[in-house]
Amino acid sequence: MGFPLLSLIVFTPAAGAAVLMVLRSDNAVRWTALGVTVLDLALCIAMLVGFDTSTHEMQFTETRPWVPALGIAYALGIDGISALFVFLTALLGWICVLASWVAIERKVKEFMISLLVMQALMLGVFCALDLFLFYVFWEAMLIPMYLIIGVWGGEGRVYAAFKFFLYTLAGSLLFLIGVIVLYFHGGETFDILALTAQDLPFRVQAWLFFAFLIAFAVKVPMVPVHTWLPDAHVQAPTAGSIILAGVLLKMGAYGFLRFSLPMLPEASVHYSTLMLALSALAIVYGGLLALAQDDLKKLVAYSSISHMGFVTLGIFALNLRGLEGGILQMFNHGVTTGALFLFVGLIYERTHTRSMANYGGLMKAAPVYTTFLALFTLSSMALPGTNSFVGELLVLSGGFAASMAVGTAAILGALLGAAYLLGMYRKVALGPASVGVRYKIRDVNAREMAAILPLAVFVLWVGLYPKPFLGIIDASVKHLLAQVHAKESGQ
Amino acid sequence: MTAAALYQSALASLPEIVVIAGACILLILGQFVRKGQEHFLVWASVAVVLIAALATFILAGEVRSAYTGMFIADRFAVFFKVVFYFATVLTFLLSRKYADVEGIDSSEYYVLLLFALSGMMIMASATDLLSIYVGLELMVLCTYVLTGLLRQERRSNEAALKYVILGAVSTGIFLYGVSLVYGLTGTTQLDGMAAAVTGDPLDPGLLLAVVFIVAGLVFKVGAVPFHMWVPDVYEGAPTTITAFMSVGPKAAGFAVILRVFLNPLVAASDVWIIVAVIAVATMALGSFVALVQDNFKRLLAYSSIAHAGFATFGVVAGGVDGIASVMLYLLIYSFMNLGIFGTVIMMRNGDFSGEVIDEYAGFSRSHPGLALLMLLYLFSLAGIPPTAGFFAKFYVLVALVEQGFVALAVIAVLLSAVAAYFYIRIVMVIYMREPERAFNPALTPMVRATLAFTAAGTIGIGLFPAWFLKLAQQSVFGG
Repeated sequence: MGFPLLSLIVFTPAAGAAVLMVLRSDNAVRWTALGVTVLDLALCIAMLVGFDTSTHEMQFTETRPWVPALGIAYALGIDGISALFVFLTALLGWICVLASWVAIERKVKEFMISLLVMQALMLGVFCALDLFLFYVFWEAMLIPMYLIIGVWGGEGRVYAAFKFFLYTLAGSLLFLIGVIVLYFHGGETFDILALTAQDLPFRVQAWLFFAFLIAFAVKVPMVPVHTWLPDAHVQAPTAGSIILAGVLLKMGAYGFLRFSLPMLPEASVHYSTLMLALSALAIVYGGLLALAQDDLKKLVAYSSISHMGFVTLGIFALNLRGLEGGILQMFNHGVTTGALFLFVGLIYERTHTRSMANYGGLMKAAPVYTTFLALFTLSSMALPGTNSFVGELLVLSGGFAASMAVGTAAILGALLGAAYLLGMYRKVALGPASVGVRYKIRDVNAREMAAILPLAVFVLWVGLYPKPFLGIIDASVKHLLAQVHAKESGQ
Repeated sequence: MTAAALYQSALASLPEIVVIAGACILLILGQFVRKGQEHFLVWASVAVVLIAALATFILAGEVRSAYTGMFIADRFAVFFKVVFYFATVLTFLLSRKYADVEGIDSSEYYVLLLFALSGMMIMASATDLLSIYVGLELMVLCTYVLTGLLRQERRSNEAALKYVILGAVSTGIFLYGVSLVYGLTGTTQLDGMAAAVTGDPLDPGLLLAVVFIVAGLVFKVGAVPFHMWVPDVYEGAPTTITAFMSVGPKAAGFAVILRVFLNPLVAASDVWIIVAVIAVATMALGSFVALVQDNFKRLLAYSSIAHAGFATFGVVAGGVDGIASVMLYLLIYSFMNLGIFGTVIMMRNGDFSGEVIDEYAGFSRSHPGLALLMLLYLFSLAGIPPTAGFFAKFYVLVALVEQGFVALAVIAVLLSAVAAYFYIRIVMVIYMREPERAFNPALTPMVRATLAFTAAGTIGIGLFPAWFLKLAQQSVFGG
């Protein structure tokens, strides 16, 4: 066991949060939080530099006994799939700090502490190699997120926070039972790799599949358990929305990839049609809902449901293109939708309205803002040359290979996406300048630019040269696919 | 009984003797304590408990049976006694300032708490239905009086009266069950009972006896359908006594329940079905009724009912893990519940009652540190990791699933999701409302120490449960 790099990555934000507790001035708090998150990103980049893309094995592993009597260990490690999301989390971390720089006016210290604790826990989720540890990180996230939405949110924040908390809690408690059942069926260990190697009877797999599904589907979210998402997104402060869309939603999909598929391969194959249907439903239904929105944040929130439908579709197509596309799309969605929420937040700070009816002609007042908004809008609707195009194309080709009907539904969803996103852009940026926003609009400043630019870079980088990103996940995805199908053909 | 046997018995029960002797001495000394010197009583009482604890630890090395098999000092008893010591000492520390605010100036307060402690200790060590009865009565008689100690307050008097009447009835039921057992088996010793029965364990008479004993015992832990006294008594009693009762006597009740229910004879009569029904009903009632409470103490009363239900699931599971899970649950529950009660007690200052949940609005604004502590205790009570409350629940669930009770485990977690709502509602009031008043918590050094200790336990056991888990598993009787 070498240098505990992953522990360092996970606990740097937590240590930063502890430091913040003793600081007094708001500005010191902001700069320290920024410093901590940037440091964390630097550590992540160091991790990626040392990452070996040629193997599916877990890397940077650390193991320490934690509760030996129950076979619980403190075990961290990453493969290609988790590496991508560790990086995404760290990337969005400091953007969240920048996005909250002036938007959060009261209790700045408490907010930044919540944000940093949240980041530590999210990183922990992606790094955990012990199911118990995973669950602790997974569930502990509820506390800071509940506070972020409930204390610093909009007018309906309390309701939204409760809804978020209870939905996720109810889902994950069943997951907990599933975990314990798995523990006893899998030889009394919580070691994820050992559990993956188990061959469970189909009946057990089927039960566990649904226990897991409830938890993961709530997080993704999949229709019909998506109703917490619009409330949470609309009420959360900008940084909360970025975290929710950028990272939290990925956790459900990550759960499918890390647990459902490799541990319950037969059930995953058996119920893949159901999952594909649910995904198609989410794509179309989310798109239709987004089409009907006037509130900018709600529109982006519903578009998230639609886009996450693409992700689950890719995953449960259970072929190489689908899986790689789904995972890449998870990353893309984090970048693009994170950026869109950031943009909604930026404009809301200036005008205090999110209703599209109040906007129009923003291009004249804020050309830089609208230019970048155009980039991210086009990215969200998967224009060739942007990141989502690569992901969606892979997902669609994988989806068509799995099922014609589902593929067609996904195409329809993509068309809907173009409709509501272009509609949004037209209403906000083009046309005559509306009364409400003609004055007071100032274009993006340097601090905001610092948050926007890295995201724009990734939009174009993945869009034009996706190879490094696919390269990171490639070996792990192939291994995952082999696991799913090996057990299936072994039947 | 020879002198040697008597010596052995006295040695085995030395901690109990220390506590009772200390209480008697304090009863006399208390008459000479002048006004303004009450802190002497606190420290003297704490000293008595610490001496008893010392005796317990010195004698913990071996298992000693005493008083012709009515009493045993085993690791199981030691574990529970540690919980009792800890609950009692923290209650003493919380009491000093609170007693001033409420105008409780009698030294009997401390003496009665010590006697209650000795009753609980006897319960944990009792291996005979009659010694159980003696311990039980010693404990509840003291708590009856302590409940009614706020003599000027109607609520307190009413609660005490209710408690006495219902308690007496339940004791009667318990004794009736014991007499039936004696009639059928010719013994009241737990070990002897199983051996004395030959033939069908499902003898209707025996079943009746078991049901009566169960009814008498679950009354003490406040499980449905014998929970009616809990909210009124918890609300009416002085808050320090409520804190004590929600932890100490409850743990003592579970100690007895574990010994009795998992006795081979009782276990053979399929009592687990009754216990499972009780567990589900208790947790459901506690969780749902707590949703609509406005009074903090009442809410915590229903919360304690719900927690009793959850712990009862561990009794249903049985086996080493089942017993250990109940023990660990009670230990962790003591930390977090005394913590949250500590904050409520601390808020009782001047004209601020600290009992209405809405009055805590915006507490985090002026006292971020204390608000964070409350948040910690509340999330722990709700069972959210990484707090200790999560590990307590987790281990009970492990024990349940291990025995194949997956459906019960699912019910348990769904009900705890319901229960989470009312805990996080308090967090909401503290953090998400605008303050309407100034707060002036009575944060004396003793209260500070209590909160620090309980917080350390709540987060510490959550992060490093291994040692405590091992302790509980090694303390299981017969294992």
